[in-house]
Amino acid sequence: MTDNASVPALRADRLGKRYGHAWGLRDCTFAVPAGAVVGLVGPNGAGKTTLLALTVGLLAPTEGRVAVFGEPSRAHTASTLARVSYLAQDHPLYRGFTVADMLHLGRSMNPGWDQALARGRIDALGIPLRRKIKELSGGQQAQVSLTMALAKRAPLLALDEPVASLDPIARLDFMRDVLAASADTGLTVIIASHVISELERLCDWLLVLNGGRLQLAGAVDDLLAAHTVLTVPRQTPDADLPGRRISRTDSDRHSTVLVAVDGGRLAAARSRQPGWQAEPAGFEQLVLAYLRRPPLGVTAAERALVGGARPAGEAVAP
Amino acid sequence: MIWVTWRQHRSQAIICLGLFCAITIVAVATGAWMRATFSADGLGTCLARSAGAGCPAAISSFVREFNSPGTMPLNIVLFAIPGILGAVVGAPLLGQELERGTWQLAWSQTVPRTRWLLTKLALVTGGLVAFGAAVTAVMTWSRAPLDRLTIRLQPPPFNVEGLSFACSLLCGFGLAVLAGLLLRNTIGAMVVGYFAWEVPFLLVTLMNGPLHILTATARIACRDGCPGASTNSVPPVTGNLGDLVLDVTRSGNQLVVTYLPASRFWPLQFIEGGMYLAIAAAALGTAVWLLHRRTT
Repeated sequence: MTDNASVPALRADRLGKRYGHAWGLRDCTFAVPAGAVVGLVGPNGAGKTTLLALTVGLLAPTEGRVAVFGEPSRAHTASTLARVSYLAQDHPLYRGFTVADMLHLGRSMNPGWDQALARGRIDALGIPLRRKIKELSGGQQAQVSLTMALAKRAPLLALDEPVASLDPIARLDFMRDVLAASADTGLTVIIASHVISELERLCDWLLVLNGGRLQLAGAVDDLLAAHTVLTVPRQTPDADLPGRRISRTDSDRHSTVLVAVDGGRLAAARSRQPGWQAEPAGFEQLVLAYLRRPPLGVTAAERALVGGARPAGEAVAP
Repeated sequence: MIWVTWRQHRSQAIICLGLFCAITIVAVATGAWMRATFSADGLGTCLARSAGAGCPAAISSFVREFNSPGTMPLNIVLFAIPGILGAVVGAPLLGQELERGTWQLAWSQTVPRTRWLLTKLALVTGGLVAFGAAVTAVMTWSRAPLDRLTIRLQPPPFNVEGLSFACSLLCGFGLAVLAGLLLRNTIGAMVVGYFAWEVPFLLVTLMNGPLHILTATARIACRDGCPGASTNSVPPVTGNLGDLVLDVTRSGNQLVVTYLPASRFWPLQFIEGGMYLAIAAAALGTAVWLLHRRTT
């Protein structure tokens, strides 16, 4: 466990997980630096929960590996469990426990537990310690879950759709606290979500998954700098466009094209075609462009399998 | 983990304690009444003088009074308790975690899931054994006068004395834990666990499963044409009130008696208890193994 900046906080090498005949995640390779707040985006069934469960050690990979601060994650081992705090979808808690009971559970099950942090957060939030979990609002339950995850004092915090069931105020409060924790302690955070606008405000790193394959990975600023939105005459063939075409929308006379291109080639193309308009790509535009095109590296036959082979509503089995 | 286990099973522990208190009150009251009747009927002196041969009518009426389901509802209740309590305690242990999604919380703390399960199983099993042993002790004390006059080799009291009660309870518990893991649902696991427990229970209770491998045969010379030599006579033809006579046939001027001597009580307890424990161990072992290798 180290905060050494040269060791990636989270690194996947050709990581893959198969459910029966279908791959839930395949050939996933990336490295996230320490201290990043990573947005993990993709439609339902894209492999987001699978990636998180592999990282936390709730699942074992079928191929490849994922490492947290240099140590490969191994399913069901205390050393892996200690390195990642995990907040599952719908932030499950024991409904009959009081808030104090939940903190007691955290203390008994985690050697690195920070009771002062936990008590401090609960008090600051104004949540009564003797109140039962089932009597708390959804926002308060999410905050108790987050408190437990933070007090575990793991260097990586993995959140799976943490605000999906919350009202707008609770969402803002929750995300503000996640960002504050990351800023205060250098915690690395990975947040799976399909609410792209939410992530835009939070993340400085982006992973886009679709069909179990990684479509895009990188620092948000780098990714935005490497993509441009061009408005070109409709008859312009793709072959004439600079760089790699990611998405294209045709209207009556013009086409709007998002291309991955470096500055030099873009400048050269614009000097050849002064009529073309170029605009920097927006975060949401970029993510949607990658999600809308057919998933990279997935064949038509695999797409059919990924969509239908796993039981609906169950992204990951224990 | 000890605190976590206690907190999650606290209400079940309280239920067990309440149940034990209720059983104890009824059992102590019955035991005291039995002892009073026993001495009022002069059964102690009769047994000492003639081993029961001199007072068959008094023995019959005592046994009828204290061993019939109508007057002793506790006997009926104690038949069902191991299966029901085992299911109630065992089914939520994994079933509720999987049903409500809290497994994701429980198994992502710093305790690996196999250790989590082993700790819980060890502590809850210990609690159930303590409960079973306590009930057995109370019932054995309560039934002591009756046990001198009747056969202990059949339930009741076979199911509430010796090892049977606690082992049967663990069997029901183990089956319900496994059902919870497989069904991922608490109520379903309770129902399935209970009916799974019924299989070995009915096998030993109704079919006298292990009885017949331990029978003995006695040949008794007939006097006066062997009167009253049926399997139900009091006292039995073997002369010991605790013997269970299974069959009596005549062969010349001898009676051939197939029976189960009262001394077979403990061997039978070990056989039946061992069978229950083997089922419990197999079910719990399967649950631990499935959870350990379930990384998919």
